[in-house]
Amino acid sequence: MAVAETASDRPRVERLAKSAAGSGTLGDKVFFGLTYSFAALVLLILAGILLSLLIGSWPAFERLGLGFFTSVSWNPVTEKFGAVAPVYGTLVTSLIALLFGVPISLGIVIVLTELAPERLRRPISTAIELLAAIPSIIYGMWGLFVFVPFYKAYIQPALGSSLGKVPIVGALFSGPPFGVGMLTAGLILAIMILPFIAAVMRDVFETVPPLLRESAYALGATTWEVVWHVILPYTRTGVAGAIMLGLGRALGETMAVTFVIGNSNEINASLFMPATTISATIANEFTEAVGDVYYSSLIALGLTLFFITFVVLVLAKLMLRQLAGKVR
Amino acid sequence: MLGTSASPASQEGDSRIELRAPAPAASAEDAEAVLPAVKIEVRDLKFYYGQALALRSISMHIYDRRVTALIGPSGCGKSTFLRTLNRIYELYPHQRAEGEVILDGENILGANVDLNRLRARVGMVFQKPTPFPMSIYDNIAFGIRLYERLSTVEMDERVERAITKAALWGEVKDKLRASGLSLSGGQQQRLCIARAIALNPEVVLLDEPASALDPISTQRIEELIKELREDYTVVIVTHNLQQAARVADYTALMYLGELVEFDDTETIFTRPSKKQTEDYVTGRFG
Amino acid sequence: MISLYRRRRLFNYFQMTASVLVTALGIFILASILWTLISYGFRGFSLRMLTDMTPPPGSAGGVLNAIAGSVVLTALGIIIGTPIGVLAGTYLAEYSERGKIAEATRFINDILLSAPSILIGLFVYEIAVVPTHHFSAWAGAIALALIAIPVIVRTSEDMLRLVPNDLREAATALGAPRWKMIVQVSYRAARAGILTGILLALARIAGETAPLLFTVLNNQFWSSNLDAPMANLPVVIFQFALSPYTDWQQLAWASALLVTASILGLNIFVRLTLGKREKRS
Repeated sequence: MAVAETASDRPRVERLAKSAAGSGTLGDKVFFGLTYSFAALVLLILAGILLSLLIGSWPAFERLGLGFFTSVSWNPVTEKFGAVAPVYGTLVTSLIALLFGVPISLGIVIVLTELAPERLRRPISTAIELLAAIPSIIYGMWGLFVFVPFYKAYIQPALGSSLGKVPIVGALFSGPPFGVGMLTAGLILAIMILPFIAAVMRDVFETVPPLLRESAYALGATTWEVVWHVILPYTRTGVAGAIMLGLGRALGETMAVTFVIGNSNEINASLFMPATTISATIANEFTEAVGDVYYSSLIALGLTLFFITFVVLVLAKLMLRQLAGKVR
Repeated sequence: MLGTSASPASQEGDSRIELRAPAPAASAEDAEAVLPAVKIEVRDLKFYYGQALALRSISMHIYDRRVTALIGPSGCGKSTFLRTLNRIYELYPHQRAEGEVILDGENILGANVDLNRLRARVGMVFQKPTPFPMSIYDNIAFGIRLYERLSTVEMDERVERAITKAALWGEVKDKLRASGLSLSGGQQQRLCIARAIALNPEVVLLDEPASALDPISTQRIEELIKELREDYTVVIVTHNLQQAARVADYTALMYLGELVEFDDTETIFTRPSKKQTEDYVTGRFG
Repeated sequence: MISLYRRRRLFNYFQMTASVLVTALGIFILASILWTLISYGFRGFSLRMLTDMTPPPGSAGGVLNAIAGSVVLTALGIIIGTPIGVLAGTYLAEYSERGKIAEATRFINDILLSAPSILIGLFVYEIAVVPTHHFSAWAGAIALALIAIPVIVRTSEDMLRLVPNDLREAATALGAPRWKMIVQVSYRAARAGILTGILLALARIAGETAPLLFTVLNNQFWSSNLDAPMANLPVVIFQFALSPYTDWQQLAWASALLVTASILGLNIFVRLTLGKREKRS
């Protein structure tokens, strides 16, 4: 009983039943397949990395066994390799990086969220983000050619003659002022990770309900007290996540560290002495490694780094999960 | 008439509300059309959000080339009901419908239904204007291109016709390449209506189309709806009683997921059968 | 005996001053790095730098082959990484909010985002260099792509999520199949943000050295062979900076300036265009 319409107007869709091959469904299937497989690819990449590291390091473990993790030697000639020195270096430099980086980041975030006038916030923020954008090799170069001479001439002697004389602690600051060394690498790393920690910390701080901050101030608390007693406890998981994230970056950093750590495969008590990290060792020796065991030991170092970083990053992610929930 | 119950209600129709003048008697179809043709027959429609039952066994008729309004307080299920008519809820995994919605003899809730074709025949305009981030021209052409390959001249014509039918042509004819987002709210909504009718649907669903608009734009939309009635079956959800009285031929009152009463608009507003209906249209609740 | 109140105030003053000082320190360091780059870098800057190839030790030359190589590697890396990243991000935003694969992918993606790039280099070495028995630009490009992908996945997903559902429903209501709705409406609505993500990934991989060390290596000469080692700026900088030759060192600084200027320029450009968007909406 429908009134006749001008035939050219209607699309030919009289019946609703699905046709055998609608172009819509084929397109949908293909597109879905593409997006799904690429999403799965991300998982495969991680699995691939792990697998290749395991396979590549197998010869080393076969020859050296678990002694790999307890030996300090690193001798390409006798083919005796041990991970202790690089692992030690990785952990210590990262620790130093955190020790300096976290308080500095906190200071920056306090300035950004509580102290700075509105007009200054954007420029300071931008400056910090530009620090993050600078490639790590530039940090290495700046570290070696600008920071090290300064450090060697002023900071090292000062530390050596002050803290170096204190009984137990002094062992950390003894030895000739090489300029390069564990402490230098740690300090450069600190500068490198502070933009990351600061950025996440600031995001976390911004999740604090304004009312909470205001009520603390209303009680007459000083800015520091509000930060230390109210904001930090409220955001403690997120802040911990930010720190772990920074740690994850520091552990894996290669180029900046290679320039300033001195590349010496030894463990020393003093932070002034040259040392090495896992990534620095790999970067420096990989292209010259001869022999299966040598090459495989470097990969084994990579595997070790993988596990250490993976654990740290997973912890960071779990801690920041709450933040993600709030922001999203 | 469907939906009316036997229990008597008060005879005191309150005429605070302006009514449309009833259709003139000289129409050619008058002889057979005391009851116009049924475009959509809804039988026992139930709707679930997850486990929660939102529509309880709704049955009603929607008549061809008439405006049917769905009214009721917030949360009564009128939008939910509207959205079953083009199965737009299928975008969301935990929503499902049971029962039958029969469009020209085919149950659109059936398993073998091609959703894209359904939506070509049953168009929808949403509460908030949603122009695509494209030019005005492309906004209209987007839908057409889904189904037809037209030459530029043909497409230009179709676009112009759709925009004209939506009473927007005069305002945009010189800026068809401008972004759809550059229009005012009322214009954007008319653009969305043009977009929907460009596909020559049989049914047009309007979900509170004027609620985000100022009074003047609202008036224009209402005039537009009355014109659309000549070519399309219109189903409109509105929380504005006066609007329903102004534009609709038939009105359905819903409450808490149930159909309370369905009748022609004049009856609903002047001589409703149920007390609940009378209370609602006279403003005693809602 | 200082009163409690005064003690608190003094302590606060101390902490606030310390905060301002360390912030100033941070900015000072940024300035120092930039200044060093500019002053040392300009010294090595010359027209020659842009026209000659990398020289043998102790003689003058340029870094043209390295610049070209870096451009090629970065471009390839982005070309490979962008489709993968955008489509994976699309899956996460448009198809699956809470599915198992989606959750796992998001989690792992964020891990990869911060993973040591040297491990990526080792991985690509194993899968691309070892089987073919030589270093190659392809290997380097793949390594860079692997670093770019997590960035692009993350930003694509975030930007697509911002597209209001209304828009999707409107397209679906017209009968558009899902993939058309995503490609013609969602992508269009999110295109500025997705582009930003790609540019940020570009800025990131342009400065990476470690993953190139054992994939594409370096090349003293001009090479357009993607199957062979190719010169690139980061490795050249690494090699030349640590060498004892002044010519080489100068070139290293000039190259460092070039790389940093490009990357920071890109970052500032992105910031400005994104900022403009924010002001408009």
